Amino acid sequence: MAERALGPARPRRAGVDAALSYAVSVAVAFAAVGVFLAAMGFDVPRAYGTILFTSFRTANGFAQTLLKFVPLLLLTLAFVVPLAAWKFNIGGEGQLIAGAIGAGAAGIVLPGLPAIALIPLGMLAGIAGGALWAALPAWLLYRFGINEILTTVLMNFVSFGALDYVTTEVWPDPAAGHPTSVPIAVGARLPLLLASPPLHAGLVVALAVAAATHVYVNRTTGGYELRAVGANPRAALLHGIAVRRLSLLALVLGGALAGLAGALEVAGVHHRLIEGVQSNYLLLSILIGLIAKGNLIAVPPVAFAIAVLDVGARAMQRTMQIPVEVVFVVEGLILIFVLLSDVVRRR
Amino acid sequence: MLRAGQPGGAPPLEMRGVRKAFGPVVALDAADFHLREREIHGLLGGNGAGKTTLMNILYGLYRPDAGEVLVGGRPAQIRSPRDALGHGIGMVHQHFLQIESFTVAHNVVLGTPSSRGLRLDLSGAEERIRTLAARFGLDVDPRALVAELPIGARQRVEILKALYRDARILILDEPTTNLTPQEVDALFGSLRAMVDEGISVVFITHKIREALNVCDRVSVMRAGRRVLSVEGREASDEVLVRALVGEDVDVRRSLLFSDERAARPTPAGRPALRVEGLSVTSPQGAPALRDCSLVVREGEVLGIAGVAGNGQRELVEALMGVRAAAGGRVWLDGTELTGAEAARVLAAGVAYIPEDRLQDGFLPKADVAQNLILGFHRRPPYGRGPWLDWPAVYDAARRLIAEYRIRTPGPHEAAVNLSGGNIQRVMLARAFSHPCRVLIAHNPTRGLDVPSTEFVYTKLLELREAGAGILLISEDLDELLLLSDRIAVVYRGQIVGTLPRPAFDRYALGRLMSGVADGG
Ligand SMILES: Nc1ncnc2c1ncn2[C@@H]1O[C@H](COP(=O)(O)OP(=O)(O)OP(=O)(O)O)[C@@H](O)[C@H]1O
Ligand SMILES: [Mg+2]
Repeated sequence: MAERALGPARPRRAGVDAALSYAVSVAVAFAAVGVFLAAMGFDVPRAYGTILFTSFRTANGFAQTLLKFVPLLLLTLAFVVPLAAWKFNIGGEGQLIAGAIGAGAAGIVLPGLPAIALIPLGMLAGIAGGALWAALPAWLLYRFGINEILTTVLMNFVSFGALDYVTTEVWPDPAAGHPTSVPIAVGARLPLLLASPPLHAGLVVALAVAAATHVYVNRTTGGYELRAVGANPRAALLHGIAVRRLSLLALVLGGALAGLAGALEVAGVHHRLIEGVQSNYLLLSILIGLIAKGNLIAVPPVAFAIAVLDVGARAMQRTMQIPVEVVFVVEGLILIFVLLSDVVRRR
Repeated sequence: MLRAGQPGGAPPLEMRGVRKAFGPVVALDAADFHLREREIHGLLGGNGAGKTTLMNILYGLYRPDAGEVLVGGRPAQIRSPRDALGHGIGMVHQHFLQIESFTVAHNVVLGTPSSRGLRLDLSGAEERIRTLAARFGLDVDPRALVAELPIGARQRVEILKALYRDARILILDEPTTNLTPQEVDALFGSLRAMVDEGISVVFITHKIREALNVCDRVSVMRAGRRVLSVEGREASDEVLVRALVGEDVDVRRSLLFSDERAARPTPAGRPALRVEGLSVTSPQGAPALRDCSLVVREGEVLGIAGVAGNGQRELVEALMGVRAAAGGRVWLDGTELTGAEAARVLAAGVAYIPEDRLQDGFLPKADVAQNLILGFHRRPPYGRGPWLDWPAVYDAARRLIAEYRIRTPGPHEAAVNLSGGNIQRVMLARAFSHPCRVLIAHNPTRGLDVPSTEFVYTKLLELREAGAGILLISEDLDELLLLSDRIAVVYRGQIVGTLPRPAFDRYALGRLMSGVADGG
């Protein structure tokens, strides 16, 4: 299982070790898949070139990558923070959708407000939506000890229904062919860091939140307690830590982070509620969290790398007709090798 | 290949020039070991001396960096526990793992060839387990759920696991640390029965008396080497202690061997901890602790004697605020703590050494420093408002590691890598790291080697001198007799008698502990 990195920076040797095992894992995963692609008659160097460099060849590619990076980063945090307390939040996409609905509602219902009030309000509504969505599983865990894995997953399905209802019944946009809401007010949209290709300011928000999360988990007594609960709940309890309360908090915090991701997608990218906002982010974020082994310093670079692969994979599918799933296989293999390298080193 | 189970007993076994380093830590350095046929071979050694590592190599869990293993005189390649079992070697670990939701039989057959089919023939296995259990006096019901078994029975399950796989050489890593005296006697009986059938046993322990009682031969390890092997009859306390701690320690001056159980002024301080009518009900609804009242005065050690499972755990849990009491009240220095959460109890000045270090006190995935602050993390110098001051934490950890001689490369080392006794030292260093009004110490020397045990005793008596009240719950009568000012005996959740120091008497305590006498 994922090993939670605890505490401040380890001695340097451990860092070098870890970097090396990542590099080897990535290389081996690509090599293994490359053999298969070559056997199937594909042009492997060109395919890999597309996967790795699409993000860096054009400004557009780079902007696209960053736009993917933002929700991936936040959703991974939503998975990793509860994981520190050894709680499994598999409800990131439901919480993202709830956050999107919250932010969307604010932007649609209050068009008269000035941007300076409406943008933060939308973000807050998103955070509240996500937190609320996680609060039910968290409460069920707190009150009755019901396993959070099941309940957070189930809440995903409820969110699909809710989004469908909002986009087809409450604020439907009849002109769109797809379940979509009317657009949010212009004042609710995030400012752009870059006009063309468009890149919204949510990137800054996401990075700041990632830094704050790191500080909370690794530098505060609350974060220490969270990780103590994750490491051994009984020992934590006997040493004065409110285990059940913290587990509840961890899940709600995860929900809030996912909700913020949803709000940024609505206010920064789509400017409306749209079915499918959650994309395949949940799966990728769990993958990122596990590859990073829950380490909050490793999460942003890993999330960025996965965003690069994802953008590259789509380009490869368009230009070379190689299915994007190839890249999922590579990512899965990287995860397996990273986990394996731990086992090997322990002997 | 030399197949196990041959008539004529287990093959002799030899390890030569074994070296094993974990990064900078050299756990074994040119260690050798010789196990004869049909013997119980005691293996002693200080905490971190390398006993567990040596046996893990024999069992195929670690590869040695150098050296060889010979079974029946021929070199053997042991790369995994399966190879080890192929050579007839089985092991019961210091901290073993079982699947709690499975039955005994299920746990035993798990991983054997017969369990890999689609259907599991458990009834055949149960029969065989019953036969083995009867033959060796390892009383356990194959159909019982492991989760419901006490620790002693679980250990018998582990032994049965090895025997079920036809082990002819059985390694037991500190099997007696968690057992009651009765269970220890029963275990020794079983070991004898095994040797009579030709099985050889390696028995790791810290208790010299046990080694002298039961072993045919005893070896002592120190700093990664075997430094002594003697025949059981020729061994004595003194020879073994000398080998354990080195030549330069004066054994005779040691607190452990002192016989001054004699008079000590009766402490007359104010009550530090007062408990009145405390009752605890078990989750199943049975009374686990009944109407327990006690007072620990300032500068007093109140010993609680009793066979494990007579309410000690419930008493501690109720005092620490992690288990709701069905009735009764608790005061610390006159402040009522009835029903207070653990955080408040600790803040009020209680320090705590948990009974089961792994479950109750240890964060395996954290590093050593993070383990050393658990429970004190909100207080200065570690916690400052919402912030944790990591430099202060690591500084303090370095100090504690040196003072308590915790064998580890440093405060950043992952705590899982510590040896059993060194984990216990972390528990102690933590409890003693802050001044306290009351110390609740539950089996504080479990798994500690001789010098460390003595060190703990010194610390406890220092704390007593400093005016703290100490509640010492222990299954080790010698320990209680040595340290306590009074001893209260618990039996079936009740305090059945309290003896003051002048009236200490081993047999009287024993009678109270087994519930046959009424105390005063
Ligand atoms: N997996 C590991 N990684 C790093 N160091 C280890 C590992 N296993 C053991 N050590 C170190 O090797 C030394 C010997 O440990 P070992 O567990 O063999 O001691 P031991 O004699 O069994 O002690 P104890 O009586 O405390 O159980 C210790 O210093 C320990 O910290
Ligand atoms: Mg050991």
